[in-house]
Amino acid sequence: MHGQDVRLDGVSITYPNGFTAVHPTDLTIEAGEFFSILGPSGCGKTTILRAVSGFVDPSAGRILIGGQDMAGISPERRPTALIFQNLALFPLMSVRENVAFGLEARGKPKRERLARAQELLDLVALGDQGDKKPTELSGGQRQRVAIARALAVEPAVLLLDEPLSALDLKLRQHMRAELRAIQQKTGVTFIYITHDQGEALTMSDRIAVMNNGRIEQVGTCDAVYSSPVSAFAASFVGEVNAIAGRATGAEGGYLRVDTALGPLVARNPNGLAAGAMVYVFVRPEAVTLHPGADDNRLAVHFERRDLEGAFVTLHLRAEANGQAIAAQLPNTGASGDAAAIRAVGFSRDAAIALPEGALAKTGKEDMAAQ
Amino acid sequence: MSSNRILTLYTWAFLAFMFTPLLLMIVASFNDISPPSVTHWNGFTTKWYRFFWMPEAELRADPVLRALDRTRLFGCMANTGTIMAVVVPLSLLLGLSGAVMLTRWQSRANGLLWWLLLSPMLAPGVVLGLSALVFWGRLGVGAGLFTIVIAQTTFIASYAMLILMARLQRQPVELEEAARDLGATPFHTFRRITLPFLMPALISAAVIAGLASFENYNTTMFAKGGACNFATEIGAMSRNPNGHPPVINAIGTIIIVTTVVAALAHAWARRRESDTPGA
Repeated sequence: MHGQDVRLDGVSITYPNGFTAVHPTDLTIEAGEFFSILGPSGCGKTTILRAVSGFVDPSAGRILIGGQDMAGISPERRPTALIFQNLALFPLMSVRENVAFGLEARGKPKRERLARAQELLDLVALGDQGDKKPTELSGGQRQRVAIARALAVEPAVLLLDEPLSALDLKLRQHMRAELRAIQQKTGVTFIYITHDQGEALTMSDRIAVMNNGRIEQVGTCDAVYSSPVSAFAASFVGEVNAIAGRATGAEGGYLRVDTALGPLVARNPNGLAAGAMVYVFVRPEAVTLHPGADDNRLAVHFERRDLEGAFVTLHLRAEANGQAIAAQLPNTGASGDAAAIRAVGFSRDAAIALPEGALAKTGKEDMAAQ
Repeated sequence: MSSNRILTLYTWAFLAFMFTPLLLMIVASFNDISPPSVTHWNGFTTKWYRFFWMPEAELRADPVLRALDRTRLFGCMANTGTIMAVVVPLSLLLGLSGAVMLTRWQSRANGLLWWLLLSPMLAPGVVLGLSALVFWGRLGVGAGLFTIVIAQTTFIASYAMLILMARLQRQPVELEEAARDLGATPFHTFRRITLPFLMPALISAAVIAGLASFENYNTTMFAKGGACNFATEIGAMSRNPNGHPPVINAIGTIIIVTTVVAALAHAWARRRESDTPGA
């Protein structure tokens, strides 16, 4: 098995009812890459996946896999395999028959396909479960059957549609590591769809952040996390404090911003000028209790302290307008007197000013509830 | 009187209303008198049953039975078998096509098509029979077994379609998509994924279609021309000016007993199936 690259060339997708799920999009996914498309539900990420696998035709643009235009090529003849959100295991077949199905469809002799199915079941550590029905397996085992079934057809590109969303947290974390290991072992290109930023950050080589049918940012996990290009990307990926304000002046790559919490200075990657309406974003782990002379300062009072093991999250309120501010500190045992906190700060390099735009909504709370 | 007792009373009255005629029919089938009666007991007999296999000489000696055309009745019964043998597979095939189209082919015309495909079920059977008769007559095809088959299939296919649609709607479309995605052609997908899933519904639909064809009278009556089947022949026998021969009671009794035994066997088989571990 070896992966192939996937290219979206000006692809847009409009459904017959007139809803545009994907606005014109260019995207290149390298061969053998673990690539995640991250976005809230309804952002168009699943539509892109279905277009790559051939179940939806692009309204405009081209999809190329390994340099070959996929227009007019039906799903069964594409070098892709899709793992469905509900897994779609065949309930009337045994686990082994499920895994062998792709080879059966290709007309491979029975002995060969059963041998191959056994190899793949061994790969996903289900070697002795082949005779069971899918309903007799646990959620995590079913998950692995779906992966084995997809890998059996030796796809160049494996497409995964939120396959872990039905599992509990512990299993999900275990399966993340397992998926990553399988990807590295096989070298297949993985395109992984998720609304869970934690999942995307831990597994992927690169991620694309998607919202309202548009890809807002593509980059390595580090780049997207530390240098988001839009208000949505900054707020959807990871926890962040967002402080609204108005730019008063730009100098040397930094932007001065007037906010309800006082004047702030932040990096200005977009070259915004005075007068722009902006958000200043700062990650909770960049907030410090002992601001230096050059740092931004916020007058706050203490509200709540959450112990999360290796670190502590302090929930604070700005004195000026009561806005919630989160600070995350290493748990050194020294934050016991948090109630006495009157001010926090963050360096200008840890903050980033981005044009005002839609923030990610309650997506993260949804995830916490799952 | 408490509402509970009224309900009990009503239930018994309802059951009596349903089953008394059947009981009387069964009793009359053993009474040696024609036309059948339960008020005038003329002695126990099984000859209304033996009619089907008694020797020709005995048949001719009986004043009631000799008026009946046994050979013709057997011919008509065989016709019913022939008609069912064609109507059932044809209805399943048409019903399956309609069900797949309405559940898998997402079209704006689906609502209209649904009504169109079900309308034969709602149309009076007389109209279906007559229209088959007139249409095929114009094409130079005389009324007979062929027109009976066509007329019955028009509405029995709708029954099959409804039963199959109910099942198809319960199968997630993802299963078929997954099969396609794994390299199966649409035909292979249908044979290996959709059809096995449909099997229980296909069996139910076949039984319902068979029963509908067996017992249908009004549509068949108009489409039959010179031909006959079991239902129309019993109809003809019961229009005897001297009252219908008790042979009809015997036939009715056999059908009821067969039905009850089949229902019990089905219930027993289902119970065994659900008792089997892992099923």
